[in-house]
Amino acid sequence: MNTLSGQISNIEVNGSLALVTTKIHDVPFTAIVIENPETAPHLQVGNTINVLFKETEVIIAIGNPENISLQNKITGTIIQLEKGALLSKLTIGTAIGNIVSIITTKAVQQLHIEKGTTVTAMIKTNEILLSQ
Amino acid sequence: MIQLSLHKTLHTANGNMLLDIQLKLEPGEFITLYGESGAGKTSTLRILAGLLAADRGKIIVNDTVWLDTDTKINLKPQQRRVGFVFQDYALFTNMTVRKNLEYALERNQDNSIIEELIDMVELGELQHRKPNTLSGGQQQRVALARALVQRPEILLLDEPLSSLDTKMRIKLQDYILKVHRQYKLTTLLVSHDVGEILKLSDTVHVLEKGKITRSGTPAEIFTAHQMSAKFRFTGEVIAIQPEEIVYIVTVLIGTNVVKIIAQQSEIIDLKIGDTVMVASKAFNPVIQKVI
Repeated sequence: MNTLSGQISNIEVNGSLALVTTKIHDVPFTAIVIENPETAPHLQVGNTINVLFKETEVIIAIGNPENISLQNKITGTIIQLEKGALLSKLTIGTAIGNIVSIITTKAVQQLHIEKGTTVTAMIKTNEILLSQ
Repeated sequence: MIQLSLHKTLHTANGNMLLDIQLKLEPGEFITLYGESGAGKTSTLRILAGLLAADRGKIIVNDTVWLDTDTKINLKPQQRRVGFVFQDYALFTNMTVRKNLEYALERNQDNSIIEELIDMVELGELQHRKPNTLSGGQQQRVALARALVQRPEILLLDEPLSSLDTKMRIKLQDYILKVHRQYKLTTLLVSHDVGEILKLSDTVHVLEKGKITRSGTPAEIFTAHQMSAKFRFTGEVIAIQPEEIVYIVTVLIGTNVVKIIAQQSEIIDLKIGDTVMVASKAFNPVIQKVI
């Protein structure tokens, strides 16, 4: 599990859903959750919160894709690459700390990813968990 | 509303311990007392039922005083509207299932409740059998039905399922929830089984050495963090298998076996037999009607 800590900077509530933006240093991460400040009192602008996402949910691109629905994007450099037969584990050094991604080895080959490659790591809004 | 304020010095294997409990229970609430053996959970239930005398205390149940040591009010166990289920079924072995239930009727009580309870916990086919011909789970169902014959306001469950296997336990949990809701009971459970507590209770009180040290929802008590995961279960690790660069962790949740992909950093402290929380966001699971 990738775990990053930040401060809640914005909460948009509609019914029982909320879109929560957390700033990790200056990088915003948005998460959609079935919570609101009433059901989860820790959801308050300014509060410190952990942003969690599974390694297998981190999408990798070369360059910075602009026309894409993914809201959470961070660029970084591959600092470690472990290749398995089918799956590979990428450790990406970014401005907000290391992020681990697990993608297929085939994808690693297609994108010519090696140690030192600059990549963009992306996570869907609904894959991000918030935890106190 | 049920208000309890109890003081009693208990003589335990480790010397004397002061039981000092203040509790408020809302009508219809399902409450669990959780804690180590000897923390005072069973004693609390027994004092509430009138089976054990408090040194000092008050019990007020919906404006009726059951106990007030200051004014020397102390209702007898049979005057308190309490149903009690213990770990051992304590059924009369010489009577049929039906007779066991009928024996619990109050004088002049309408016996239609017997039929209703037999239906409720599905004892129809077993009603003419003697308890010793039944499985543990079936006997506990009889004990649960018997505890409800007098239409209690409060149901006390003292580790009622701890001697049953997992499959039977889950079935009995469903029956307990069913009667709790149907009869709008206030239920007080003593249990060690975290999965069971998460499934059944609204509120958990943690008892340590005779005192309540923490209270909250089961999720607040048993998970280290508040997490925005709506797809969340507690289970037991039954296998951890390395596979390429990841690990496949097999977890038994109730009677279902699930598999989770984990990272090395996640399995470092994990061993077979550990209780774990498995969580995902509500957005991930797919749902499909079972035909």
